[in-house]
Amino acid sequence: MAVTGYLSEFSLAELFNFLEQGSKTGLLTLCTLSDAQPENHENHYIWFNQGRIVAAANRLDQHGLAYMIGQRGWLGEHTALRVAQTCNVTTPIGLSLKTQGLLTVEQLKMLFYTQVMRQVCTLFTLKDAWFQFDCKAPLPFAEMTGLNAPATEVTLAALRVLKDWSALASKLPEPTSAVMSMIDGKPQQKLNQTEWQLWEFANGTLSLQAIAHQLQLPLAKVQQIAFRLVTAGLVEEVPLVTLMTAPPKPEPLPMEAAATETTTVSHSFLHNLVGFLKGKV
Amino acid sequence: MEIMRLVVTGPVGAGKSTFIRSVSEITVVDTDRRATDETALLKQKTTVAFDFGRLSFGPEMALHLYGTPGQARFDFMWDILIQKAHAYILLVAAHRPSEFIDARRIRAFMRQRSPVPMMIGLTHMDAPEAWDLENAAIALGYLSTNKRPPIIAVDPTQTASVAQAVITLVQHSMQDCLVERPA
Repeated sequence: MAVTGYLSEFSLAELFNFLEQGSKTGLLTLCTLSDAQPENHENHYIWFNQGRIVAAANRLDQHGLAYMIGQRGWLGEHTALRVAQTCNVTTPIGLSLKTQGLLTVEQLKMLFYTQVMRQVCTLFTLKDAWFQFDCKAPLPFAEMTGLNAPATEVTLAALRVLKDWSALASKLPEPTSAVMSMIDGKPQQKLNQTEWQLWEFANGTLSLQAIAHQLQLPLAKVQQIAFRLVTAGLVEEVPLVTLMTAPPKPEPLPMEAAATETTTVSHSFLHNLVGFLKGKV
Repeated sequence: MEIMRLVVTGPVGAGKSTFIRSVSEITVVDTDRRATDETALLKQKTTVAFDFGRLSFGPEMALHLYGTPGQARFDFMWDILIQKAHAYILLVAAHRPSEFIDARRIRAFMRQRSPVPMMIGLTHMDAPEAWDLENAAIALGYLSTNKRPPIIAVDPTQTASVAQAVITLVQHSMQDCLVERPA
């Protein structure tokens, strides 16, 4: 069953976390929306293999990578496509070109950076788009360099440079919430200094407001960092209740006291309850 | 009198009040008031304190159901209700992925405060845009089928479906020990 929705409801960061955590393989299509000119929409395609991004393009003819190679003058576009056609259909074109000595490892890295990191990172600036994930779509070997990146690594890179966070305002952790680690040990991802600093507070006890004060950072910045760590699967947001002065409790009536005395629930009670409820099913 | 206290929680509009209404033998005591914020886009009224329903069976045995408000600004009520609960069910609307993040917040809150057994009920599974159970589970942070609480589809408007959900939670609770609650 295809997973579909809108980025305004389920952000790209959450979507990448979902695809990586679920080790998904398939094609993510993003269709940008334009109220002014509905006929002018753009499609973006990102391919995943076991939760890792392997290729990205704004076309489905599998000529995107060959075009990039041609643009750089490393190889003619047609040459690259001919190589793709003659090689093993299950081998990424990048690996085939490297094996034949036509491209170097450094060139492949540069291609991957442009194709995936740069192209995909700009998608995080979209205010909204319709998305669909098709788990039956085949891998586009003619668009693949042979390199890949975990989806959340791309998320971290993109969110670190995001300037306009207005589309994600409702997703940010609350100032009164804490963050709690969700992993054993330390993060495997490469975190920057402020992310590490916030990570050190991921014990679920101190609010983001208090953390911001301790780190001498703007609250909005700490919320954004916390969101990055949440969508990287490293921490979860834990709301902290604001302590209020409670009114004095009235003395319980004798009947109420008796009613609350039974604080455990017996197995016979549970058996009886199940039996009773089965009559309603 | 032996009483089991079951808390029904979840984001706004997941079906908590409806769930309790479907199975309570008494008219549910609710605390609905007119919604004034973005909740008004979903529905006219919302719970501002808690819902209460009751199911009596056998002599001196009753199930008390407490529905929490969905809005985070009433999280002090979540705290009050979960402290006395024997188990809880987290309802999540499967056709509103925008609320998966709220569901995760609520679950984190409850888990930090109480170790009692819990389960997840996915509502609105008949909606065309509903996520299927496995994908919703992953989106809620449950990756392994072995290490997660029961997750089932629930129709809060149907007594039979609600009863089945409570049965699932009770049977799950019987595998764990129900924690002794402070008086």
